[in-house]
Amino acid sequence: MSDKQISIPVAAGTGGSPYAGVFDRLIDFCRARSLFLLHYCTGCGAIELPPAMTSRYDMERLGIQPMATPRQADILLVTGYVATKTLKRIILTYEQMSAPRYVIGICSCTVNGGMYWQSYATVKKLNEYLPVDMYIAGCMPRPEAVITGLQQLMDRIEAGRADAWRDYYRRYDHYLGKQQALFGKHWQTPSDIIGEARQFDLLGPDTLGEHTTLLEQYQQPLEMPSTPVFGHGRDVPEDERS
Amino acid sequence: MDKRREMASWLDKVLEEFQGVQVRRKGHSRLRVDVDSDALPALLELLQGRAGYVHLSAISCVDWIDDGEFELVYHVWSYETHSLVSAHIRIPREPGVYLSIYDLYKPAAFFERDIYEMFGVYFEGSPRMEKFILTEWDGPPPMRKEFDTKQYVHDTFDWQEYNPDWLQEIREKGGGIVE
Repeated sequence: MSDKQISIPVAAGTGGSPYAGVFDRLIDFCRARSLFLLHYCTGCGAIELPPAMTSRYDMERLGIQPMATPRQADILLVTGYVATKTLKRIILTYEQMSAPRYVIGICSCTVNGGMYWQSYATVKKLNEYLPVDMYIAGCMPRPEAVITGLQQLMDRIEAGRADAWRDYYRRYDHYLGKQQALFGKHWQTPSDIIGEARQFDLLGPDTLGEHTTLLEQYQQPLEMPSTPVFGHGRDVPEDERS
Repeated sequence: MDKRREMASWLDKVLEEFQGVQVRRKGHSRLRVDVDSDALPALLELLQGRAGYVHLSAISCVDWIDDGEFELVYHVWSYETHSLVSAHIRIPREPGVYLSIYDLYKPAAFFERDIYEMFGVYFEGSPRMEKFILTEWDGPPPMRKEFDTKQYVHDTFDWQEYNPDWLQEIREKGGGIVE
């Protein structure tokens, strides 16, 4: 989807000035050289990250550093199979990240389920639920492949083509529909994606639709501790309540 | 070591005295015992109280759909003789209800809850029988043999076509993905 031409709301290069868009390009140049990476290690692919991060392949020489929290991270690295239960957490994590945000799916499992292709509990295509910028296939991909993938992502960011995060706002109804199909109609997250889409001026024709209508119908205010917000509303038993 | 083996063979002799118990020794530290389902709590009580099998390693479940039965296997371990006794029972698939051994072994609650979630076998008297790992799951217990996991995947998830060159080459030679 990143290959698709997505029109940027502020038209670059208007007026025929040779300097138009220079600032955008400068931002992209800088952005590609300072990336913070949140590695959400869902599966076995995580074991290839320590050599990629540390002295052997040293991704810090590319300007990429691990970051502990989603709110300060640029890249979400999903390494390995995604269980239905994990997907909820990934979506919550993704929506907390500040835009622009990039998602990399590592390992065959994020592409099409990998060796869990017939498992009832494993999500097959990650890019149905989240906009994925790049897949690094392999079971598991070697650290060289991870580094190459990150370099390709840097090139895309620098060229202004890593636009998958905009796609999440533009086609939120599509992504939400897929999430609701898996988690049920009560699914909601604390993030106000539609509000954010308005703020970024990324409200597309598919941002709102039947699924967002369903979301509004079942949405509960977050300040209601007695009502379960996530999941299917299963109650915590008396003896576990603090 | 000799003393341990001696104690283990003594256990064989004691268990053979029971009626309806089939004892098969699988090794010097492995013993398989097949009992009737109503005799199992008494057997476990004896093993725990008199023979030192104080550690419940696991309860496992096997779905014999053609026989219409579930097999429950209770693995108990003795730290004194360093040996494992596996007590096998069969219960009818319908209604699929059995007694909890929580009173004898507290860790049983964990295994019973897990088996209830995965196989739908209800354990009467187990302290908590609600959802455990599959909190997002609304379907039937997924480890039962009649649950068609491939069909479920087909109905629930979309598939990403993947047909690389190397796979085509293997297919031309008569190989391919085994299902």
